[in-house]
Amino acid sequence: MSASSRTAFLVLGTLAFVGAIAVSSGLLTIGLTETAVVLVALLVLGIAFRSVSRRRGVRTRLGTPDPERTVHVAVPGETVSDALSTFRQVSSRHGTVNRRIADSLRDVAVAVLTRFEGDPPEAAKQQLEDGTWTDDQIAAAFLSPDLERPVRSIRDRVGGLLGYGNGSRFQSGVSHAVAEIAAIGYESDTPAGDRTLPTYRFGRQFGREDEPPRRTRADDDPIDGIEPARQIATGYWTGIGVVALAAVGIGALAESPAVVLAGVVGVGYAGFARAFDSPTLELSLERSVSETDPEPGDEVDVTVTITNERGSFVPDLRIVDGVPPGMVVTTGSSRLGTALRPGESATLEYTTVVQRGNHAFDPALVLARDLSQSTEREFFLGADHGETTVVCEPDLRPIATSVPIRATATSFSGRLLTADGGSGTTFHSVREYRSSDPLSRIDWNRRAKTGELTTLEFHEERSARVVVLVDARKSAYVAPTADGTHAVDRSIAAAGRIGATLLEDGHSIGLAGIGPVGSESERRRSDEACWLAPASGRHHELQFRELLATHSQFDASPPDREVPWLTQLRTLRRRLSAETGIVLLSPLCDGGSADVARRLEARGHPVTVVSPDPTADETAGQRLAGVARRVRRFDLERAGIRVVDWPDDEPIDETVARYARSGGGIR
Amino acid sequence: MNEPAATDVAAERPDPDAGVDLTRKPTLASSAAAVGTGAVAALVAGFVSTMALAIGATGIVVLAVALAIGNRDAVDAGAFVVFAGVLIAGVQGGVAAVEPTLVGTIAAVLAWDRAHAAVDLGEQLGRETPTLRLEAVGFASSLLVGLLSGTVGYAVYVFGTGSQPVPALVLLLLAALFITIGLGSGKRERNWRSSRRD
Repeated sequence: MSASSRTAFLVLGTLAFVGAIAVSSGLLTIGLTETAVVLVALLVLGIAFRSVSRRRGVRTRLGTPDPERTVHVAVPGETVSDALSTFRQVSSRHGTVNRRIADSLRDVAVAVLTRFEGDPPEAAKQQLEDGTWTDDQIAAAFLSPDLERPVRSIRDRVGGLLGYGNGSRFQSGVSHAVAEIAAIGYESDTPAGDRTLPTYRFGRQFGREDEPPRRTRADDDPIDGIEPARQIATGYWTGIGVVALAAVGIGALAESPAVVLAGVVGVGYAGFARAFDSPTLELSLERSVSETDPEPGDEVDVTVTITNERGSFVPDLRIVDGVPPGMVVTTGSSRLGTALRPGESATLEYTTVVQRGNHAFDPALVLARDLSQSTEREFFLGADHGETTVVCEPDLRPIATSVPIRATATSFSGRLLTADGGSGTTFHSVREYRSSDPLSRIDWNRRAKTGELTTLEFHEERSARVVVLVDARKSAYVAPTADGTHAVDRSIAAAGRIGATLLEDGHSIGLAGIGPVGSESERRRSDEACWLAPASGRHHELQFRELLATHSQFDASPPDREVPWLTQLRTLRRRLSAETGIVLLSPLCDGGSADVARRLEARGHPVTVVSPDPTADETAGQRLAGVARRVRRFDLERAGIRVVDWPDDEPIDETVARYARSGGGIR
Repeated sequence: MNEPAATDVAAERPDPDAGVDLTRKPTLASSAAAVGTGAVAALVAGFVSTMALAIGATGIVVLAVALAIGNRDAVDAGAFVVFAGVLIAGVQGGVAAVEPTLVGTIAAVLAWDRAHAAVDLGEQLGRETPTLRLEAVGFASSLLVGLLSGTVGYAVYVFGTGSQPVPALVLLLLAALFITIGLGSGKRERNWRSSRRD
């Protein structure tokens, strides 16, 4: 309805009211009967009920983000088809891709059997057809065109009907088959019945599109003071007019003054709803943190003071502080609903746990409503003296044991044990004396016993040049649970520890990243992928640490897009000098990560993959993703690349120690 | 350096259970206020007629359930049933029911208003957030508006009562209709984009 017609209605209404008073006080006489009362009352009721039907869903309000929440990341293999599609990238099968899940699972079973049981492909296929690859009859029948599925017991059937069983025939088939495939080569000695079956989940678990955004404000332009944004009519009192009209209409029909008076109350509220202008605010915000340079995992107390600088009462304020993505609120609340008198302040106090990274506070989001709540306005409120920033650098404590990486020696001395004999500390061999050998290496004991002159050889100790490469592509932001530590965070923690260990041992360490740089809007600011040329020394160590903490490529929250990472890889390969070793930190959850390792290895860089394991095994899809990762690991190891598998629940020290025991490493 | 380092990576990311979890459900204070004022409306109507009390009680149950699950349509339905109880009391009670109906109507509108405030606040800020002051101001202002308009209506009734000529009644009806249409249609044309609708 336009403003002019509304005014017209108001004028008409006022005229009618004046007329009514005139008539009742005897100034005016109009000849009307009772019928007219009934007719007008019916008209009023009719209009009331018509507007009831039109007014559903008129209420609106501005949504608020969830800045205090932990960042949610994907779990690898959210659906069975997701997991199967990453599998297609590893299996070397060409030709048409099987769209049917059973056929794809058959391909997966062949891929796994050929790798972990050493069967040739034909034999593996034959096994699948006979069902001899597993003891589980349901799984065998599901993957074989010839075999019949065993008859279900009555208990199973009843359970299935009541919803206790493992779902439909197809679903239980997939679950059984996946459990059996996952067991090949690993727990094949456990009897089939004892394995835990994964659940089959068709849809995606988390409607991540429905989740409120993580930040109060999408772009990063600094805000000075208060900045108004959207404004909406909330429609808060929608329906009060209907109540007024219905009451007046019914009251007139029933000739009940009580009910007509009830309608008058409704008219009063309807007037209240329109009585106020949209709110204007003059607020100031002061934010202080207990520590600006914490260690990862430290608690930081945040105090926010918001003051009403305007000379009028603010009746309705809803405040959400812009907690940065890398900080999680643990106690207190970063939100507040309050009213402020002129000059009054409100204080927010909360405690956060800080993760690694460079955390700049976003401006606080302020939603203000007028007294009747009919209009709502959104404001962004920046801190007075620029945005507060908390920088949290990762721990660079060296790992106690040697790091089992592959590297080539440079010509500088260091602590990498080479296979060549020469001077050093670790015994290598004994050989005949040659005239130029230094006196200190002659084996004088033997000379005293036998009279022969022999020379002791030691393992030559050289320094290595290693670049730590962190896989921060979108597909690496995965974790075993949606709110767990994702693989990139773990990779960076490990990168710091490995880098520190190697630096302590006198090697030259560089740092590189692969993946999207910054968010979409931030792109113009720093579009460079992370690169720190290998070097050593205290200054270099500080640089290394700072880059790990603050480079926008290693953001704590998952990027919103993927970039063409092959270009990044090409640039990186040009920068690497010959024989530089690579430590690739990647969860190996897609074909691309294995590809990075293979391409670098092909260029002559010895690659070691340290892979934080992000797979879970609850659902069929997750278990399949775990199998795909294992196949990828196996293929890399077959290509001569060392893969250090780092389970989710183990500190990096233990993993590294385990691998160091099993095979060398550099020190 | 040799001590067990089980904490270093685990501490990198806090335990997700330790972080506050936002419950986007109606706030407790306003919910209590809504149910309380609804009960007042039902009781006042109950003084006039037992049936009105029964209907009002049903409305309160619906309202309480609506607030427990945070559903706006159910809030509307519950508050409407409470109001219907008040109206029935007004129709049945005749002239004696004027004051109870007036008080009952104000209480029913307050119940509806507070219930929606609770849902809105719960959705925007969550149940754990301190919002008591905001809710108190909202309650006070709504109560004040109800009392004021009720007083004005009652004053007109008391002083203008007696043998009202029929044309005056018709004109009063039309006045109510026009004024409500003029006031009530809201500022809908000023709807901005990207607001959350229900």
